[in-house]
Amino acid sequence: MGQFLRHVFLPHHTNNHRPKALHEDALFAYVLLFAVLNLGIRVMYRQFPQVLGYATDIHVEQLLSLTNTKREASGLPTLTINSQLSQAAAKKAQDMFSNGYWAHMSPNGRSPWDFIVESGYRYSVAGENLAKNFSNSQGVVDAWMASPTHRDNILKSNYRDIGFAVVNGVLNGEETTLVVQMFGSTGQVALLPKPGPIVKEAQASVPLPTPIPVIEKAQQPVIVSQEGSAMVQSEATTGLAALLSGRFMNVVKNPLFNIPSVTRDIGFAFIGILMGILAIDSWIITRKHIVRASGHSIAHLLFLGALLVAFTAIQRGTLL
Amino acid sequence: MKTHIYHFGVLLIILATGTLMFFYTQGDRTLQFVIGIVTALAYVGWGCIHHALQKDLHPKVVVEYVLMAAIAVVVLATLLL
Repeated sequence: MGQFLRHVFLPHHTNNHRPKALHEDALFAYVLLFAVLNLGIRVMYRQFPQVLGYATDIHVEQLLSLTNTKREASGLPTLTINSQLSQAAAKKAQDMFSNGYWAHMSPNGRSPWDFIVESGYRYSVAGENLAKNFSNSQGVVDAWMASPTHRDNILKSNYRDIGFAVVNGVLNGEETTLVVQMFGSTGQVALLPKPGPIVKEAQASVPLPTPIPVIEKAQQPVIVSQEGSAMVQSEATTGLAALLSGRFMNVVKNPLFNIPSVTRDIGFAFIGILMGILAIDSWIITRKHIVRASGHSIAHLLFLGALLVAFTAIQRGTLL
Repeated sequence: MKTHIYHFGVLLIILATGTLMFFYTQGDRTLQFVIGIVTALAYVGWGCIHHALQKDLHPKVVVEYVLMAAIAVVVLATLLL
């Protein structure tokens, strides 16, 4: 057993002074192994998403609570859930899935403000934050707070109302969980909207909204208290309740194995072991002054080390 | 030895640039994968040039660098799933 381990992991005359685990055939086997693993995960995910999938646990109540906690910490008033903004957010999410885009502006030129106006919300100022493919509510809000433009939106003092939609669907062939957060404040005079995280160039291209007529029904929104416990609903928004209480309020998926965790663990473990073998090999070769025709183990170590560092920058969630 | 240090300095610059660009494109997995491939190719190029300059470039060495780069790409592809 000892001889076998030495043959596999240490440079020795039995393996031509190169650990068997670093021979070309072994390296080729690793490539094939990961290619098969990659393919296997894809197939398993398609066939058995409840076994191998992407764990997701995002709730509107949590997003509201976390958003308001950030505002309170900055000495700002908390925001109240508004059904019309939530409806606008839901329609925006549906529009992104239907038309296959991930942007503040739709390919046919619809802006976030169009969705807000269509929902009947009479805004004086409005904003939109988008997120996709985050695994939990905390991750979404943390990412927004880490982004200056999204943070500005969350901590904007002008806003009084907020709406959310959390929707799961297929976007451009990939299963995607979208989170749409819309802010607003009503007033007597319609002002220019503040598009928040839309980049400055995009802001310039956002068409100015026409003055929005006062719609009586819009003044009686569904209101959820800041604690998210009580809901006052008007007749005008009866249909909305069904809309918002259903598929737009949360996305919860609990597969037996979470793909990001499984692949990260396997990746880190494999590269870590390979680096360990290379480090020992490099040390022994240098110490014994062995000359051989092979690549530099130190160079491979640096390369794999950079790869490990890069792994920490992999995240599924994206903001806009 | 001085040449060795210079060569490894170039390698560090290649890897640091690749890693920084990988961080810079955080959130865009397609672009991250492309950066991974480009960095891996640059690594193979560095290995070939380095060994050629050291006058010990052997087909086995080229294969070793190519396989090491291929390992990085397939592992990266798996993590970017």
